[in-house]
Amino acid sequence: MTLISAHNLTKTYRLGRVDVPVLRGVDVNVERGEWLAVLGASGSGKSTLLHLLGGLDRPDKGSGSTIEFEGRSLADMSARELDRHRNTRVGFVFQFYHLLPELTVLENTALGSMIRYGRIGYRMKAGEVRKRANEILTEFGLEHRLRHRPAELSGGERQRTALARALMNAPDLLLADEPTGNLDRKTGDRILESIERFHKEHGQTIIMVTHDPLIAERADRCIRLVDGLAVDGADVDAEDHVALSS
Amino acid sequence: MYQTLLTRRYLIGRVMPLLAILAVVLCTAMVLIVWSVMAGFLNMLLAQGRALMGDVVVNWPVEGIPYYQQLIEDLENDPLCEAAAPTIEAPGLMALPEPGGTRLVQIVGVDGPSYDRVTNFNELLWWQPIDEALPKDTDERDLRLRVPEQMRTEGLTLREFDPETEELRSAVVTGVWVSGFNRRNRAGFIDSYYTFFPTEEVTVSVLPLSDRGAVIDVAARRFPVANEFQTGLYDADANSVLIELGALQEMLHMDAAERIEDDFDYLAVTEDDDGEENFAQPTVVAEDPARVTSILLRAAEGVTPAQLRDRAKAIYAEFDMKMDGEVPPSDFVKVETWEERPAVRTFIGAVKKEMALLLSLFGFISMTAAFLVCAIFWAMVSEKTRDIGILRAVGASKGGVAWLFLRYGLVIGFVGSMFGLAVSYAIVLNINPIHEWLGQALGIYVWDPEIYHFTRIPSEIEPLKASYVFIGGVLFSLIGAAIPAINASRLDPVRALRFE
Ligand SMILES: Nc1ncnc2c1ncn2[C@@H]1O[C@H](COP(=O)(O)OP(=O)(O)OP(=O)(O)O)[C@@H](O)[C@H]1O
Ligand SMILES: [Mg+2]
Repeated sequence: MTLISAHNLTKTYRLGRVDVPVLRGVDVNVERGEWLAVLGASGSGKSTLLHLLGGLDRPDKGSGSTIEFEGRSLADMSARELDRHRNTRVGFVFQFYHLLPELTVLENTALGSMIRYGRIGYRMKAGEVRKRANEILTEFGLEHRLRHRPAELSGGERQRTALARALMNAPDLLLADEPTGNLDRKTGDRILESIERFHKEHGQTIIMVTHDPLIAERADRCIRLVDGLAVDGADVDAEDHVALSS
Repeated sequence: MYQTLLTRRYLIGRVMPLLAILAVVLCTAMVLIVWSVMAGFLNMLLAQGRALMGDVVVNWPVEGIPYYQQLIEDLENDPLCEAAAPTIEAPGLMALPEPGGTRLVQIVGVDGPSYDRVTNFNELLWWQPIDEALPKDTDERDLRLRVPEQMRTEGLTLREFDPETEELRSAVVTGVWVSGFNRRNRAGFIDSYYTFFPTEEVTVSVLPLSDRGAVIDVAARRFPVANEFQTGLYDADANSVLIELGALQEMLHMDAAERIEDDFDYLAVTEDDDGEENFAQPTVVAEDPARVTSILLRAAEGVTPAQLRDRAKAIYAEFDMKMDGEVPPSDFVKVETWEERPAVRTFIGAVKKEMALLLSLFGFISMTAAFLVCAIFWAMVSEKTRDIGILRAVGASKGGVAWLFLRYGLVIGFVGSMFGLAVSYAIVLNINPIHEWLGQALGIYVWDPEIYHFTRIPSEIEPLKASYVFIGGVLFSLIGAAIPAINASRLDPVRALRFE
């Protein structure tokens, strides 16, 4: 069953007077429970693609781009629905963690639920939410860091917190933008193992951006962005492969 | 929910929001203090002024109102009217014994006891014994500490005991600033290096007028000065002289008089029964009643001047009917509340305008608070741009992000105004001790009794004013926060996330 399918995705940035096309007609199709890796050189538009798929950004107008989530077009959603969509259906993990520095690990993790339930609703659900946050943080080995601020954490701990935040609301789709890009190999591997475990145990659908083919190998399938187009992972350039892995 | 949490976290341990709060505190406190003191000052002035004029006046200048005793009785029988007092207002000259001491003044003829019932005249008399020296009068130099009670009585009745004739003489009570010899000193009491009392005499001249307003005579008479009064209204204190009503009526020919036939021959001689020749006695054809130009009324407890004015109008109309043309027509007789009297109106208008000017100036300055909040929030939003991107990515709506900053502004406004009010109350309620301390420690006298006629700075805050200022403070902060908040909500989440 297809969870998300994007067709002819086009995104152009305007730099001064020059139009810079970043995506020029990308097609992506992800089944429920699938793990897709997105490869590509720096600046090839991987993050841009992820933002589009997550409903954080919109494709060019009049380009004929469509993104359908469970058969429903994101373009048809109102701003409110889209906010809700990001809140409950999608989980983002970013390269640079992107935690709120003023909040503790627990609060950062619960942020999505706070937004979801609103002021009064959250009061009623607070116990439940805290329990769930505790659970998921324990799963990522952060049970002794609940009251710490992000600044007091190591890079790996921060990324695990971000991962916990993304998975907290049990989203249908996890969008991870180079989650290990900023970490040393060992720490990165631990994160990847967590993601892998989640994927295996809970059947989590994942789209993960990386420029490391070794990481991409863990995924079920991979695509590569070249010149603004998506190329199937099977056509991976051998040269590229060697250059990156060495 | 997240807004509450973030507001709290953003607020705590940061200098910028503290500065914003401080700005709001200062602005609200400044406005409220100035407003309260100014309004208190105005109220004190008006209360004093009103004390001299009563609540309502029935007025018919020049000619005066005859049979006024009847009118007063009618008025006093009405439950809305607490008391009524006859007075005469006329321009006149007062000459002090000193060279160059002749002044143009407003002469007011009053009947002491009734006047006191209407106006609290008793309390306005300056020279009456006091038990305790004023706080700043450490040497006890205030003469009032030593004046006899008799001085008050003489002022109140406008009659002074004359040791030569052993009779009571009509006297005057002048405003404290009429003589020009009185000076108020720093301590707040009057240093009189030339005092009127006890035996000084002044000459008062007035002009009796015909019905048409033509001068028909000049009346001058010497009066002893029984006391001086102080209302706090500079105009009244510098220009008014009170005279015993009967004496003024006589001088103005407004007292009761007999009228004789018009064509009476003064040289006619009559012979009486014994054959002796005498000048003929004129036949009295009518009795001209005594008159007064104004009747001052005091409203009963809980009755507003306006209510009393309307009632007094009605009563006068009845009185007019009853007297059947013998009294000035009710359509033309002026019945006004004290606030409606021209002199008071211009005065109130001036002070109110001054207050409005000051308030708008301070209000304008207070807009700096709004700008400060705006600037601080602008900086906060820039600093928090990435957070905004994160919040949007996790599902926060535009409105939610705007509310985050609006809420923050609200809290700053609320806390700031709260403290501002607290500071205002602390300062205004203790403004006199503070002022005194400033005077002693630093030699600063902002409030100079020499100028303001009050020894005390008004120290009351009306809750209504406080709530206006409070709402204003919150509103200004909210307005200051609004622009950055809207700005934050409009941020493109992707750009915000990329923000370094
Ligand atoms: N807001 C923007 N305005 C202009 N150009 C942009 C903007 N966002 C991205 N770009 C450009 O679009 C291109 C793709 O950016 P993107 O971040 O998607 O690349 P990426 O594949 O994720 O690269 P990296 O591997 O370095 O993260 C880049 O050339 C970038 O400069
Ligand atoms: Mg990227």
